[in-house]
Amino acid sequence: MKIPELKDLIIRSLDKESDPEKTSARIEEAGVIWKFSEGFQDKVLETIFSAGDSVVRKIEFVRNLNSVFYRIAITGVAAIVLLMISIFVIQGSLSFDSFLGLGDSYDESIVYLLTGN
Amino acid sequence: MIRESYRQKSENELVKASLDGDKQAFSEIVSRYQNMVARTVKGMLGDSVFSEDIGQDVFIKLYYSLSDFRGEAKLSTYIQKIAINLTLNEIKRRKRFFSTFSQKGNNEMYEFEVADNETEGKKEAAELVSKALMSLNPKFRVIVAMRMLQGYSTKETAEMLDLPLGTVLSRLSRAQEQMKNILRKL
Repeated sequence: MKIPELKDLIIRSLDKESDPEKTSARIEEAGVIWKFSEGFQDKVLETIFSAGDSVVRKIEFVRNLNSVFYRIAITGVAAIVLLMISIFVIQGSLSFDSFLGLGDSYDESIVYLLTGN
Repeated sequence: MIRESYRQKSENELVKASLDGDKQAFSEIVSRYQNMVARTVKGMLGDSVFSEDIGQDVFIKLYYSLSDFRGEAKLSTYIQKIAINLTLNEIKRRKRFFSTFSQKGNNEMYEFEVADNETEGKKEAAELVSKALMSLNPKFRVIVAMRMLQGYSTKETAEMLDLPLGTVLSRLSRAQEQMKNILRKL
């Protein structure tokens, strides 16, 4: 297939009405064939079955790490929600200051708290 | 003889046997789908050694996630999804790498290694398609690769990419416009 013909085929293959199966077959006929190198299959099998245990351990570790992360994240969110509820119950409102524990503090008392003077 | 018997097996039989630790069964899966994976990975990343590595990762990931395959969809769809995800991750990784360490475009990483015995015309054709695909925005490239290289319909592409049909159609039409401009320059 000549290059201008191939260019035309590529553009036409992206038409909504074109038949993708036919055009992909024609593009392949034109020489657009991508394959992995010789021995690809053996390399894959060797990696999987020789690495065996270490790869399994790695995957298990990542899976465990994920579940631990989710547990920590859920616990954290639950703690924040509980804190907000308790602040609301105790103080009757929710403000950023009360969330930081500064709800009933005056400027002077904060300075005293931080500096001791 | 043994190999022949595996060729007769269905996808689900091969998956089940692989899960039971049957190496031959998994080897048959690799043999059946390696060209499909090569088209996706090499179509989106270029024909280079890096694509071979991603191709290997696809099958390694498949092996360790076979237990998650419930057989509701075709195995080819499941593998294709893994291939697309890993390839898109690699594109993102390269983009980050090149934006951090180099001013050069990542197209310079692509090599064209078409087999020697192919005719000059075929080599030229493969190079043209590869260059055109590499010049496309990755968002469009994946849709073009699915349609042009794998022969998937718009509906199948939408399912594969978990995108609404309308999005695929609009990307396809924008990809066609971009492709026209790219091919004019090549």
